[in-house]
Amino acid sequence: MTLDTERQQHEVSSPSHWFERDPLWFKRAVFYEIHLRGFFDGNDDGSGDFIGLTEKLDYLAWLGVDCIWLLPMYASPLRDGGYDIADFYAIHPDYGTVDDFERFITAAHQRGIRVIADLVMNHTSSDHPWFQEARSSKDSPKRDWYVWSDTDERYEDARIIFVDTEPSNWTFDQHTGQYYWHRFFSHQPDLNYDNPEVQQAMLEALRFWLDLGLDGFRLDAVPYLFEREGTNGENLAETHDYLKLVRKTIDEEYPDRVLLAEANQWPEDVVEYFGDGDECHMAFHFPVMPRMFMALRREDATPILEILSRTPEIPDNCQWGLFLRNHDELTLEMVTDEERDYMYSEYAKDPRMKLNLGIRRRLAPLLDNGRDEIELLTAIMFSLPGSPILYYGDEIAMGDNVYLGDRDGVRTPMQWTGDRNGGFSRADFAQLYAPPLMDPVYGFQAVNVEAQLRTPTSLLRWLRRFIALRKEHPVFGLGSYEPLTTSNYKIFAHIRKHADDVVLCVHNVARSAQAVELDLSAYQGRHPVEMFGRTRFPRIGELPYLLTLAPRGFYWFLLEEDEDEEPDGDS
Amino acid sequence: METADLTQQRWFGSKSQDVADTKVLETVPIDEFELAIVEVSFHPGTHELYQLVLRDDEDAIADPGFARELVRLMDSDSDVETDAGTVEFRHTGDPIGEVADVRPMGAEQSNSSLVLDERIALKAYRRLGAGPNPELEVLRFLTERGFENIAALRGWYAHTGRLIDATLGIAQEFVPGSADGWDLALEDLRTNPARFVERARELGDVTGRMHSALASDATDPAFAPEETSAESLGLLNATVDEEIEQVFLQLPDDVPELAPIRGRGQEVRERLSLLTTVGSAGRVIRHHGDYHLGQVLLGADDRWIVLDFEGEPARTLVERRRKRSPLRDVAGMLRSFAYAASASRILHDTPAPAGWEDEVRSAFLQGYLAGVDQRLLPPGQAAVERLIAVFELEKAVYELRYELDNRPDWASIPVAGIRRLLEIDSEEAA
Repeated sequence: MTLDTERQQHEVSSPSHWFERDPLWFKRAVFYEIHLRGFFDGNDDGSGDFIGLTEKLDYLAWLGVDCIWLLPMYASPLRDGGYDIADFYAIHPDYGTVDDFERFITAAHQRGIRVIADLVMNHTSSDHPWFQEARSSKDSPKRDWYVWSDTDERYEDARIIFVDTEPSNWTFDQHTGQYYWHRFFSHQPDLNYDNPEVQQAMLEALRFWLDLGLDGFRLDAVPYLFEREGTNGENLAETHDYLKLVRKTIDEEYPDRVLLAEANQWPEDVVEYFGDGDECHMAFHFPVMPRMFMALRREDATPILEILSRTPEIPDNCQWGLFLRNHDELTLEMVTDEERDYMYSEYAKDPRMKLNLGIRRRLAPLLDNGRDEIELLTAIMFSLPGSPILYYGDEIAMGDNVYLGDRDGVRTPMQWTGDRNGGFSRADFAQLYAPPLMDPVYGFQAVNVEAQLRTPTSLLRWLRRFIALRKEHPVFGLGSYEPLTTSNYKIFAHIRKHADDVVLCVHNVARSAQAVELDLSAYQGRHPVEMFGRTRFPRIGELPYLLTLAPRGFYWFLLEEDEDEEPDGDS
Repeated sequence: METADLTQQRWFGSKSQDVADTKVLETVPIDEFELAIVEVSFHPGTHELYQLVLRDDEDAIADPGFARELVRLMDSDSDVETDAGTVEFRHTGDPIGEVADVRPMGAEQSNSSLVLDERIALKAYRRLGAGPNPELEVLRFLTERGFENIAALRGWYAHTGRLIDATLGIAQEFVPGSADGWDLALEDLRTNPARFVERARELGDVTGRMHSALASDATDPAFAPEETSAESLGLLNATVDEEIEQVFLQLPDDVPELAPIRGRGQEVRERLSLLTTVGSAGRVIRHHGDYHLGQVLLGADDRWIVLDFEGEPARTLVERRRKRSPLRDVAGMLRSFAYAASASRILHDTPAPAGWEDEVRSAFLQGYLAGVDQRLLPPGQAAVERLIAVFELEKAVYELRYELDNRPDWASIPVAGIRRLLEIDSEEAA
């Protein structure tokens, strides 16, 4: 055998072995966010794991997923869903081993699916050996890896994020008589990024996972890496400088990997995380999300149009991450007080549904399980400039359980079949990390993958067709966005353009049928062709183009040039 | 080489697409030639990569000098390194040795093939995809295990580097004086239809043993047979169901051949749904992927040789490397028998004798079931038949779309296949 098998084994999980060079792959990708604990239990212990997830890759490939985003899978005491990392180099034993992880990555890459994972750079768990060492004595060599103070009156301009549980960003450490700094829970001390050792240690942790073939990171809570007196401690220049160093390291050593920033900020602040195309590749567009829900309730597209008009241009090699729901609450940090009150009154009628500044519910219950509403919001999200990120279970309209604490209500077991435990696990019911939903509307006997695969009209089957349609047209990931002003405020209409591809998207957010006249004079002579059914609509003329839309209906059109009727370009 | 030249080539896969640009991304000097990886980008924002061999800006892949140099590099297990990557050349078994005569094989499709001294076939892949080419993987696997009904692998060359890791080409034994299964079937139909029934039995046996061989190594992750996941039949049903719906949505009104199935889309989908409730899909393995009579040769020693493990060229490499039920190959060959029976009538005005197709089918299946490792199949004869029927339906729907686009007067063949599944199986599937 002349083949260098050792090298082959070493490289077999690496994306460069399975994908051609494609630095902008993330701009055309559909992402799928997975709560590993809740996805599929491969070893019958009641908790989802990498072996189970590997078994479900064919399902994700069938659905059309390009990239999986994993919630934190590291060793952790799990006081914050794994965002409290106790060892950056180990997999939580409930999920498997580093070997299981590498086998999963290889299997995903073989199917053309990439994988990114959450990484929390801002803080560690208080159980992390670094912190244990740091708090052991003021003279500990690791002391300066965290932020200590004799008083709790420094950095007072920094807001408290988890207002429901944390009275202060400082917590007193009895043993050494000093306060330590934490922007989130008190069991999550912030790392001190002013210390170059911390900066290097974090780069080493990144390299470890990239060497195993991981395609990038979703960087949790990035705005808070540094602290400076007299500032709110968010989006500081020092934070951006460090992220640029991370990016440079990755570009040099690990091409085609991505950094996705979680910065729950206004668009004008978030764009700073793209730098000049030399910082993060992607960042979530947080503020557009609640406004899609708002537009639907108010039957008024204005909130979406407004936030998009406030969204600055971003560098060509960057992309927005778009989502309707994720593993956290529907966050209402980036809305006005008045808007927040409106959202609470409309979407969180039961006070149990509120959490911090948000609403802890899944997509389907938020929309009263309305199929038209789910399709419409999905269509709006898919039509916007950015890459869509789906949350596991939302493709089958799973529900939530508001009686589970914190955000666990939206992290219940994935519903695969109508069998015991919803097909999620063969363990005893009592062993499950959380009960699967069993209510008559959203329970696994009514809502599951198996049944929806067999039903051609199901949401799952519809979503697969819709994902395929979006992927057929790179214009959605790559193209420009131009809003169309209409006299009907219930209509959200816009044009996406990339090279010769022109797409017109028209959405009716009202619960009644609507007519709208669109000024399409710039496209006079073209034929709108409806993208799902390939139906040709009447030619665009000089007059405003009239469309009628069903309640919560939408149309996507390719504006095709009619070659027969066009004058010859040479003349 | 001019852009226009490249996109006019037979092997250029995307003639219907609007080309925006072509760019040479990487060149590797090979003697007096340049091996070039060229990117063709299309207006909607997609692109494809192709392999060219250039000398003085002309495509020189058929130049005897290039073939000889390739063989020399393979025989010496050479690596040619550039700033951007490495092309590695390897041989397996005995070196190929000096090459005198080089001729094109003809019948160029998605790749370019040469015959060296009537003993070695050299195939260069034109369109490149990332990851190992399934043909190289499967041929190497079967060659190493001494499976006799293939043209053994003798060497390959592949690119690794920042741009892409891709197989560029392979060398394998050339089988002289052979006839392919398709020509043979048509000839037998004219002269001795019963002879082909026996040949089909042998072919079934070879196919079964090929699948057993492909499933024989549980330690190689690329080949280890896998149990199908709980929802694999659901995924299969959903995929084929969509394809049926699409085809029936677009049935043209002016093709009389479609009469037997027109308006019966819903019935076909219900049949599919019945057929896929079999409980288990058996195991999935690496398989041929594009199995039909044109892919098998009968050698001078009356031995069937299976060729062309590339999979369906229209699918992505990711799909072609996927493990699937071996019965998918079986269904492909059964459909090919149906084509042969009809082609004999259409092309030679020689209708197949009544019952010929059924006899050939059952002979092939008997041979197959005797030769294949039973653990690969779903339990029970009925489940095997149903699963074959699902794959035949999938294939027939694909054929129908192809024929409607290309030769509507052949549409009667897939139409008959679909009708057969609707009617012949009706008591059994109910």
